[in-house]
Amino acid sequence: MRLYEDLRGVQQRVSVLQSGTAGLLGLLLAAFWYLQVVRVGYYRMLAENNHKREVRIPASRGPIFDRNGRILVENRSSFNIVLSTEHAKDLDHSAFQVASLLGLGRELSRQRLTGPRFRSVVVKADASEADVAVIEARRLELPEASVDVVPLRSYPLGAAAAHVLGRVGEATEKQLESKAFEGVDPGSIVGQAGIEAHYNRLLMGRDGYRRAIVNSRGVEVREDSRQLPTDGPAATLTLDGRLQAAMEEAMAGLAGSAVALDPQTGEVLGMVSSPAYDPNLFSAGIDLGTWSSLVRDPKTPLINRVIQGQYPAGSTFKVVTALAALQEGVIGASTSFHCPGYLNVYGTLRRCHKADGHGTLDLARAIALSCNVYFYQVGVRLEIERISRYAKLLGLGGATGIDLPGEVSGLIPSPEWKLRVLKTPWFPGETVSVAIGQGQVLVTPMQMARLAAVVANGGYLVRPHLLRGEPTGEDRQGLDLKPATLETVRAAMLAVVREGTGRRAQLPGFEVAGKTGSSQVVAHERLERDKTAPELQPHGWFLCFAPADRPRIAMAVLVEHGRSGSESAAPVAGRILARYFGLANPSPPAAAPAIPPDGE
Amino acid sequence: MAIDRRLLLNVDWGLLLAALLLSGIGVLTILSATHGGRFAGIHNRQLYALGLGLLGLLITLTLDYRRLADRSPLLYVGIVAALLGVLLFGPRIAGTRRWFLMGPLGQVQPSEFAKLVVALLLAKVFSEYRRETLGLRDVVAPGAAVGLVILLIAAEPDLGTAACLVPMFLAVAFLAGLRMRAVLALLTVMVVTGGIWWQFAAMPYQKQRVYNFLEPGRDPQGAGWQKNQSQIAVGSGGFLGKGYRQGSQSQLGYLPARQTDFIFSVLAEETGFLGVAVVLGLYLFVLWRSFETALLARDRVGAFVVAGLTATLAFQVVYNVAMVAGLVPVKGLPLPLMSYGGSSVLSSLLSLGLILNVRMRRFAN
Repeated sequence: MRLYEDLRGVQQRVSVLQSGTAGLLGLLLAAFWYLQVVRVGYYRMLAENNHKREVRIPASRGPIFDRNGRILVENRSSFNIVLSTEHAKDLDHSAFQVASLLGLGRELSRQRLTGPRFRSVVVKADASEADVAVIEARRLELPEASVDVVPLRSYPLGAAAAHVLGRVGEATEKQLESKAFEGVDPGSIVGQAGIEAHYNRLLMGRDGYRRAIVNSRGVEVREDSRQLPTDGPAATLTLDGRLQAAMEEAMAGLAGSAVALDPQTGEVLGMVSSPAYDPNLFSAGIDLGTWSSLVRDPKTPLINRVIQGQYPAGSTFKVVTALAALQEGVIGASTSFHCPGYLNVYGTLRRCHKADGHGTLDLARAIALSCNVYFYQVGVRLEIERISRYAKLLGLGGATGIDLPGEVSGLIPSPEWKLRVLKTPWFPGETVSVAIGQGQVLVTPMQMARLAAVVANGGYLVRPHLLRGEPTGEDRQGLDLKPATLETVRAAMLAVVREGTGRRAQLPGFEVAGKTGSSQVVAHERLERDKTAPELQPHGWFLCFAPADRPRIAMAVLVEHGRSGSESAAPVAGRILARYFGLANPSPPAAAPAIPPDGE
Repeated sequence: MAIDRRLLLNVDWGLLLAALLLSGIGVLTILSATHGGRFAGIHNRQLYALGLGLLGLLITLTLDYRRLADRSPLLYVGIVAALLGVLLFGPRIAGTRRWFLMGPLGQVQPSEFAKLVVALLLAKVFSEYRRETLGLRDVVAPGAAVGLVILLIAAEPDLGTAACLVPMFLAVAFLAGLRMRAVLALLTVMVVTGGIWWQFAAMPYQKQRVYNFLEPGRDPQGAGWQKNQSQIAVGSGGFLGKGYRQGSQSQLGYLPARQTDFIFSVLAEETGFLGVAVVLGLYLFVLWRSFETALLARDRVGAFVVAGLTATLAFQVVYNVAMVAGLVPVKGLPLPLMSYGGSSVLSSLLSLGLILNVRMRRFAN
């Protein structure tokens, strides 16, 4: 007989467990629905980020040539040691290992390694072959360290034309946020100065990329896709390498600048700012020590003095005053004044630099000898409004629009300006200071070279430019100066070099027209007290064009603390022209006849 | 053999078929998870373990479960001895002593067999209480017996397997008539014990897992990695999946323990929600039919054996799948039938063998 147990209670409770289990599995299915159907997009993205690594293939920046096809800037292949921060499980440890392998010390800051925008960090740029071998040999132990081959900017001429060409460096945070750098990837190499900065977009080209599938250890499994970079196009500058070399040589060891233009077109043929720096230092990322020593250098090698140096114009400004006076009919070519060595202007005694006076002289002679008294007389007759207007017409007190970043505008004072900025009215006595280029007048060497070009080309204001291209109408602007006005000033400038203050720029069988100037650094009395302090000496100016009959070059030279233009700047200009036009060297400065210093 | 031909007719072929289907899907998923890698070829070892498990299942069928239950005290002594032995003499593998090395059989994990023995023992002890309701005092003795086994397994350490015995004990005690209040009291005791363990005995890695579960973002490259990567694999699988052997998470090594504890993650990534639904459906079928067997059992012993084993299987399935979905902290708990691992396969099939055994003999004397 079978004995059946009463199992009803047990069975009831089994049903509870059975339903409970089914309920839990149902809940799990709902959870999977949520993950796999509702949030699939989010997790797909995370999975993609997990295993796809995008590496930028940097485009080579376009090479830069001078007008004769000579290479000024090129690229060379270099090796970067890169640390991927993406998959490294123990970043500190990997970074320490890499740093000790490369002998870097502890420079890899944690902050740099965890920067949110970077997926890989360049640990060492422009690494040596030994460094590359050390890293390549440890591919398996350190998969997060790798070697990239990247084009590196190279300046074969070193410091020559450094301020024209500029330099490159990694885009800064600030740049990346600006509109000019829209679409530029973090870590990109961009122009930081000069042509490199001004034409950055043009030179950059378009970076390519390479997408790779990587496994959980960060080792690449296969390539997903790749887009080759488009290299930047070559750029040809208006610079003439031969002239540039002559200018570099003539300025060697001096502080100052020289700039030469084609007077007809405004093409910049040569530009030197001295002292300079070697832009190659920046190409692979400059170290902090070198950078701060460049920034703190009292000789400011990073400044392009041609467009960023502002100096009192000194007597070179007499060219402006003369053009204005002739054009306005205030004087004629034969108008003469008497110079006794001083002039009483509105009750103040104003001196000429020649204490015993130049005697009676006409405009040509007044310019040739740089007589101050003559121009006091002209200034009083012209008055400040007209001087100021002509100075601005001739391109002073405003940027020239050259295709370089950071150009400053200088300053041409006027009563309106003085009232607005200094809140004081104009004193008539100040007008005569302006007439000889002192007072608040500030100009850049670039502006003065352009002024020389106006006289050289028959009254056209050119726009200086460095990128060679088809001439456009905007590059020349007619000033409607009377031919007689221009001819008179041209003749006077010829006299400066023939028999005046610019004799040290004389070249045998070659006519140079010019004007000297010296711009005071400190008040006259202060200099009298300390005649020998080099840093108190006035700057020497010389602006010129040559050959005088059919000018091919207009140039401005400024030698800082060169005492006077005739002593310092004119000989530099002479040497540059001699080299450029293939003439015999002018007599060395020591053998030159004593020349009276020009006006101050 | 003392097996009645009529008994074969009563074998639940549907349950067996579903279990074999899950095992087959498991083998294919292991193949996808390991091909071309360090563990390539282990699916063959899994097939071998499955063959051995089926053989064991057949043998279990031939023995009447009531006889087995009657001998459970002896089996209990034997398993306690084996667990002690593995603690004392077992080789240290990955910092734990869980396995005996047994020549051609490979690594044998006594704790997997402890489940079967404990199920039989609990069934025997509780079936002898001929009352409809039980109090806390009634569960002290069986509780102590189970507790000893749990402690021995936890000492290996293998908390996952040890934890599997808790639902078994609770399920059988519940079926035997333990009052709800008592069940709650027991749970309270466990929570307190867990707290004490946390305070004084928990390993740092175990604490890490809990911390990382509570706050997954705190160390995405470290211990929270497993949970995050599994969730990414599951979620990115989508409705249809990325295709067999096409899962980026599985194939590129982002999923840890993908052939063992996280096998379901591989399945979810490559076959999508559809595959998940099919497999969870199969598990539901297996568990439902197993509980049904408990309903059909002719006596308490049978019902308790089946319910205890099924409760453990259900706990493992639910916990493992919830872990893969990132719902509970990561714990080394294999998915029955699918995860790679001979002992786990063997123990699951033997459990099913016992369950089939009870169903088969529901009319017999």
